[in-house]
Amino acid sequence: MLILHDLQAIHWAVAGLGISFVTITLLAVANRRLGVSTGFEDICSLVLDAPYFKRSAVTQGRPWRLPMLLGLLLGGVLSAVLGGGWAATWDLGMFDTEIGWGPAGKVAWMFAGGLFIGFGTRLAGGCTSGHGIFGLSNLELPSLVTTVSFMGAGVVVTNLLYRVIL
Amino acid sequence: MVLLYLVFGAVFGFVLSRSGAADYDFIQGMFLLTNFQLYGIIGSAVAVTAPALFLLKRYGKTLLGQPLVIELKPGHRGNVVGGVLFGVGWSITGMCPGPILVNVGEGKLYALAALAGALVGAGAFGIAYPKLQAPMRLPALARGTGDG
Repeated sequence: MLILHDLQAIHWAVAGLGISFVTITLLAVANRRLGVSTGFEDICSLVLDAPYFKRSAVTQGRPWRLPMLLGLLLGGVLSAVLGGGWAATWDLGMFDTEIGWGPAGKVAWMFAGGLFIGFGTRLAGGCTSGHGIFGLSNLELPSLVTTVSFMGAGVVVTNLLYRVIL
Repeated sequence: MVLLYLVFGAVFGFVLSRSGAADYDFIQGMFLLTNFQLYGIIGSAVAVTAPALFLLKRYGKTLLGQPLVIELKPGHRGNVVGGVLFGVGWSITGMCPGPILVNVGEGKLYALAALAGALVGAGAFGIAYPKLQAPMRLPALARGTGDG
């Protein structure tokens, strides 16, 4: 059951097919390689002057990545609206039952985690979509190395938190 | 074309939202190895995309007739170091980059903090790139670590 309105999750194969459809269509129609985390650089490049954010890979990616990022956000809005109505919430599932921090604690926790995500994905050259979906599907070795690294680290940290510390 | 990318993003986001890929409990269940859902999603997405990609590359063109361009990601130490850091962040937040935006859209307020953190993290990485280049064996700045 999802945290969002306690909805029943769709079947994994339906979700896999949907993601595959988006990945292939994006390439077949628009000649774009699926990837979300570079979009963080695109947003940074709107306000930061460092040479890294002036390179053409970033500035040329903005016209398609920024609309896609906005679309991801709208997909979430649509899902909430159609699934029982949009409402702001702090609900965080098992974090609430096992850890139980309030809004201030959650903000600090999430900001810290976000730092790891932003720095880590860009250092690795991609995230679950660019490495995990596209890279693995394209049989790229760096993507396999990266995917094994982030899955392994996730397994270790979550098990440490919920099975050792708690 | 802007509208097309918006629609692609929205379809992607809706699927992530309803499948559990943007859900804290499903992500922890994946890492605790107690919930198969996310392995099924990623596994089936790769199983379907891989042969489709193979065929599309053999065809060699987009549907609009342009030559197909797929920039391969470079290999470097950042794949392991960055991958591990990202895995830590994915576990902490229960979100990877796409689902951060999906969760913000769903109305989950804490996701705004994750988004802010991710932007600061990406910004710090870009600024630190010249210093990380040698120890991490990263490509030239103009190329970066790879789009995606």
